[in-house]
Amino acid sequence: MTGEDPGPLVRLFGLTGGRARPQGEAFDLVAIVTTAHDAPEPGDLMPEHRAVLSLCRRPTPVADVAAHLRLPLNITRVILGDLRRDGLIGIERPRPAAQTIDQRIYREVLDGLRSL
Amino acid sequence: MGYAVSEPGTAAVSSALAIKILIAGGFGVGKTTMVGTISEIRPLHTEELLSDRGIGVDDTSGVESKTTTTVALDFGRITIRDGLWLYLFGTPGQDRFWFMWDELTLGALGAVVLADTRRLQDCFPAVDYFEQRGIPFVVGVNCFDGARRYEPAKVRRALGLGEHIPVVMCDVRRRVSVKEVLTTLVTYAVERA
Ligand SMILES: Nc1nc2c(ncn2[C@@H]2O[C@H](COP(=O)(O)OP(=O)(O)O)[C@@H](O)[C@H]2O)c(=O)[nH]1
Ligand SMILES: [Mg+2]
Repeated sequence: MTGEDPGPLVRLFGLTGGRARPQGEAFDLVAIVTTAHDAPEPGDLMPEHRAVLSLCRRPTPVADVAAHLRLPLNITRVILGDLRRDGLIGIERPRPAAQTIDQRIYREVLDGLRSL
Repeated sequence: MGYAVSEPGTAAVSSALAIKILIAGGFGVGKTTMVGTISEIRPLHTEELLSDRGIGVDDTSGVESKTTTTVALDFGRITIRDGLWLYLFGTPGQDRFWFMWDELTLGALGAVVLADTRRLQDCFPAVDYFEQRGIPFVVGVNCFDGARRYEPAKVRRALGLGEHIPVVMCDVRRRVSVKEVLTTLVTYAVERA
């Protein structure tokens, strides 16, 4: 312990079981997270896990989930990895940029920026 | 995996896309300010919890360890439309966080390297980093009050930038200015794509 403020660290430890890395396949900071509609929600979820399921009914990027939970990114990722393992959420798989951002998207982004 | 792709009224779901843009440059050059000027969300940063005892190693005692530190990672969001977002990430400056850059740049649209003419050398590492990896970037010269105004050509020469790399004068406290830097980057990235 740091000796300064063990409170938050203890809470983080509880959320992750002390794990630093998420389960399963790696996912990006802005990968889209979507709550599964077909899985029944277990009754014994922690509030943070429940909050993710509620938030991601609308597809939400990982970084936004972290901001909503007010948790560090890697803690958020451990939580997301667990929820994915349990089939409660889907997380977008990594795609190379060249494949993702096509001319049409570039156009949309440019127009969007100009009209801000 | 239970993706919610067939839910009525959520046609955008399967194509939802978040695009990353990095804001890099030396300490105090205006990265946080730039993200804050243009972002539509308030909670502007999240923290990355690190353990000094090895990145990428599953360290089961990491949270307890003495060496746990956090890095603030600024980020901001611009919604282009429902299901299409731009995320701006202010890169953590210190050298020991290069590994985070690798992750941030993965799949990114490109980067803005902010420069301060009073200490141009501070942005060399960022310029090198993006050049070596072939990531499209533009240089934004943040015009602080009291700093001498330079011609973009001079900055380009001082940084040893190729002719094709855009150099834009900016004031990151102003929204129109930040918009211009970002449109320049996206335009440049399209041309290269
Ligand atoms: N005069 C002036 N000050 C600026 C400008 N951009 C940033 N600053 C100030 O410079 C300081 C450092 O900026 P910050 O965004 O925190 O830099 P960072 O370390 O790159 O994130 C802050 O006090 C800002 O208010 C600018 O364009 N002009
Ligand atoms: Mg900053």
